[in-house]
Amino acid sequence: MGSILRRCDTSRTLVLAALIAFATYGIARAETPAPASAPVCQGCHGLHGEGNGAAAIPRLAGQSAEYLRKQLEDYASGDRANPVMQNLAKPLTHADIEALATYFSTAEAPHTMNPSTANSAQLDLGHRLANQGSEIKRVQACNSCHGPDGIGVPQAAPYLAGQSAEYLTSALTSFQQRTRKDDPGGLMTSIAGQLDASDIAAAAAYFASLPSNAP
Amino acid sequence: MTQRLKEVDVVVIGVGMVGSIVAKELAAAGYKVVGLERGEARFTVPQFQSPAIHDELRFDIRKALMQDNTREAVTFRNQSSETALPIRRWESFLPGTGLGGSMVHWNGQTYRFQANDFELATRTRARYGSKFLDPDVTIQDWGVTYDDLEPHYDRFEYLLGTSGKAGNIKGKIVPGGDPHESPRSREYPTPPQKEHYSGAMFRRAASSLGYHPFPQPSSNLSQPYTNPEGVKLNACVFCGFCERYACEHFAKSVPQTIILPVLLANPNFELRTGCQVQRINLDSTRKKAKGVTYIDAAGREFEQPASLVITSSFALNNVRMLLLSRIGTPYDPTTAKGVVGRNYAYQTMSSVASFFDEDVFINPFMASGASGTIINDFAGDNFDHSGLGFIGGSFIGAVNTNGRPIQYHPVPPGTPSWGKGWKDAVIKHYNHTVMFSLHGSSVSTRQNYLDLDPTYKDAWGQPLLRMTFDFPQNDLKMAAHVTAKAVEIGKAMGAKEVAGSPRKGPYTTTQYQTTHNTGGTVMGGDPSTSVVNRYLQSWDVPNVFVIGASAYPQNASWNPTNTLGALTYWAIDAIKHKYLKNPGRLVSA
Repeated sequence: MGSILRRCDTSRTLVLAALIAFATYGIARAETPAPASAPVCQGCHGLHGEGNGAAAIPRLAGQSAEYLRKQLEDYASGDRANPVMQNLAKPLTHADIEALATYFSTAEAPHTMNPSTANSAQLDLGHRLANQGSEIKRVQACNSCHGPDGIGVPQAAPYLAGQSAEYLTSALTSFQQRTRKDDPGGLMTSIAGQLDASDIAAAAAYFASLPSNAP
Repeated sequence: MTQRLKEVDVVVIGVGMVGSIVAKELAAAGYKVVGLERGEARFTVPQFQSPAIHDELRFDIRKALMQDNTREAVTFRNQSSETALPIRRWESFLPGTGLGGSMVHWNGQTYRFQANDFELATRTRARYGSKFLDPDVTIQDWGVTYDDLEPHYDRFEYLLGTSGKAGNIKGKIVPGGDPHESPRSREYPTPPQKEHYSGAMFRRAASSLGYHPFPQPSSNLSQPYTNPEGVKLNACVFCGFCERYACEHFAKSVPQTIILPVLLANPNFELRTGCQVQRINLDSTRKKAKGVTYIDAAGREFEQPASLVITSSFALNNVRMLLLSRIGTPYDPTTAKGVVGRNYAYQTMSSVASFFDEDVFINPFMASGASGTIINDFAGDNFDHSGLGFIGGSFIGAVNTNGRPIQYHPVPPGTPSWGKGWKDAVIKHYNHTVMFSLHGSSVSTRQNYLDLDPTYKDAWGQPLLRMTFDFPQNDLKMAAHVTAKAVEIGKAMGAKEVAGSPRKGPYTTTQYQTTHNTGGTVMGGDPSTSVVNRYLQSWDVPNVFVIGASAYPQNASWNPTNTLGALTYWAIDAIKHKYLKNPGRLVSA
């Protein structure tokens, strides 16, 4: 053992030490190792679930495990319509889903979403919808359920902060068009049904502009 | 210096549930209506939003949405022989204030009364004989029947979008609903809310004992709904912050979510908030109202002339308005003469706590204000009272409305009241206890009444309302009887320990019971025992209508709100189609 180390130069030793330190640093959040089924997810969602904004592929890193689990089940069943995700989710076993949900919920990923290109009027409307809701549109504040600044409430609601604006727009639209029918009590369907396209764009842009949970 | 304003057609005193509906109907019919509300304007956005609204200390303990009793309180005593003192802290009942009134923070429990209740005196005598009742009990018939009110109950429930399961449609008993209910013309507008786990346990146990459980009718909606006024409500999310709180989700049926958008959009209606009505002004004959006098938030006094005055404030405040305006003869308990303030009643509340092992999870915090499972087998006159020595009854239900951290601490009898022993018990039992609500009727008596206090005044210098009330023996006997029955249901649920708490006297204002204060401006067919006729029109002053639970001659086994909604539509029908076409007395004395 000692002879191997003596053959390494100092910088490599330091890198090795740093890697060990980095691996142990995450113990507080305990990023679990990626399961065997992960590569097919990582191909689009990124190694640690950082997502791809322009392609409307959502960030998964640090998302509520219960939410991730439910979405995989809903894609598989068709309650959430998406041909690509349905093909990928259907073959997964319960154990696969459990492992993937655990992995991505503990994953740490840098923030990769594009900075918001929204104008200040949009951000202002989004901020109001998020914090107050709209009397005229009969919608409650998004943050009522999605948590302060949209950071999410695990088990109850996914985080929205730092999520892809393109993805959030498509998610709200799919509730509005009822291609996504997996919301408990039809709550998101009801809310999205009361918003128009500019409301959706404003809410999406606002949440995208908020800091994500990147370390 | 009082400023006299331009005359309008109608003044509505109090823009709560009743005021909102009345004003909307009259404004829509083309009349110029002014609504005077002493509280603030408030709306779902932003005033009802989270996280601010989920503040138990502010809303539950400090009663943020309630009437400010440093400016206007009620004095209280049990007997006429005592001196009444001001209630410094609302506990037993919690009068609301503000636009939308108390409905903003109600629990949404939406029951109809039964046919028997509206003719209680006649039917009790017929069934049990005229000697059955204690001579001090002064129950009366209402002057309207359930059949008169049925279409108006229906209209009100469809306005709210109430979630429930009918038990009797046009005489045909429907499984899954309450077989004791009086016939309704159709199903509820939305299906029942999801059943709580404690409700499912209750349902199984109650059925096993031969009772008839059904889902509590709830105006916290089970699904999105657009009412006939075109106003939309969302589905309840079971957040457990219903009573004493406003709903951020547009899911509780309150004036803001069922009718105010329509009312406020009508240019015939003008809302004035921060306006404390001092009295209804009468002309020199004292048989005609000229309008009202009010003081605004800046302390300026105004006279608002009007052809028609409708007092639609909280029941207690309706009574006070008539007393301050000197409309009708005040009731005197020593002579039993007079009518204003007579037949004040309340609600007789008992409870049962069933304690389970730690492997039974109740999750009380997942709740709406009305997510319960109920039986009416011991309510009203649904059971034979022969030989029992009382009339009336309670609905019994596993009614789980919240598991809030400051107030919800069920512990078994014998638990220390504080310290480590108490804390250990709270931890042990918090998530493993089922609370039953036993919601009981309240008969009126000669000795329970309302009048003006001789000593204490409000912030505007006017005498406070004085309440003289104690539980009649009739109601205490009823409470003991139904509590014993409810304890058996707890045992049938398999609880380790069941503790019954039947209501005991004397009545105290320091423990929360309900805000179901009724009577004082009773409706009826006889002016010597009622203040308003069957259309809620004052016998003394025909252009004054008094619409509130103050009209109830006694209180039944269920929450009063739905019946008040029905009476409101019934009265407004008479006002629009009879009174305004030909102003004058609708019923000859």
